[in-house]
Amino acid sequence: MTKTSLVYVNTIAAPPEKVWQGLTDPAFTERYWYGTRVESDWKVGSPITFVKGPGMGAPDTGTVLVADRPRTLSFSWHIAWGEMAKEKDSRVTFTIEPDGTGSKLTLVHDEFEDGSTAAEALKNGWPGILIGLKKTLES
Amino acid sequence: MSSKFVYVTYIRTTPAKLWDALLKPEFTHRYFFGVTMQSDWKVGAPWKMIHPDGSITDTGEVLEIDPPKRLVLKWKNELPSMKHEGYTLCTFEISAYGGQTKLQVVHEAEMDNSKTIAAVSGGWPQILSSLKTLLETGEILDLDISQDRAGRRSA
Repeated sequence: MTKTSLVYVNTIAAPPEKVWQGLTDPAFTERYWYGTRVESDWKVGSPITFVKGPGMGAPDTGTVLVADRPRTLSFSWHIAWGEMAKEKDSRVTFTIEPDGTGSKLTLVHDEFEDGSTAAEALKNGWPGILIGLKKTLES
Repeated sequence: MSSKFVYVTYIRTTPAKLWDALLKPEFTHRYFFGVTMQSDWKVGAPWKMIHPDGSITDTGEVLEIDPPKRLVLKWKNELPSMKHEGYTLCTFEISAYGGQTKLQVVHEAEMDNSKTIAAVSGGWPQILSSLKTLLETGEILDLDISQDRAGRRSA
């Protein structure tokens, strides 16, 4: 069976440090990640809590795998609701490269289980999050 | 149509407020598992259901829209366990009833024993009960949604 990897590349008119902040500061994430505050101290091995609004269900969780500010951010991710809650953690890696005065952001989401529901649900979900991130940082 | 879910409820609100509560994220975030229903809300426009983590579980197309009275959605669950079932049809009808508002939701599929209809039959009563509570009191029902959904789906 082929392992699923979701890969997205975006250019953002903001420097790498700003993109890093957009990914790691809950005040930013809640503006584009459908109200989700992504909270962590962003040290390798530290927990991450994806805090949702009231009534939105249990938080997703994760662990920081790589935190090389402002270049590479990688974490494991466990989605807490529905049939996805039974799946093992997948892995999200953001790579930020300078691109002129802005940045090139590459997202790789991999290490899904075979037949993963999370892979299917996020395949179409990431573009909306990334467009939101871009708009938030460029506004 | 061979699989069908029907729900009727009477809500102490106006048709216009109920219509907004069905479509606008500031309302759906509160009573609908944090979901955003994203669409241009015109006939033929695509719609999608986005969860707070960004995952998209359900998609479709607006077939009819007549605010604040009637909305018909072509509806497909995109998850591997249900995607092969293809499209279902979900019809919302809103009418004034005395000083209150009547909401009817019919979600149906052509196939027998549709898993999609079975799944929404578990979800809609929670969602619509919480919607009624929100419109009438400003609060939502405190349902442990993620636990229940996980349990129901594995059943």
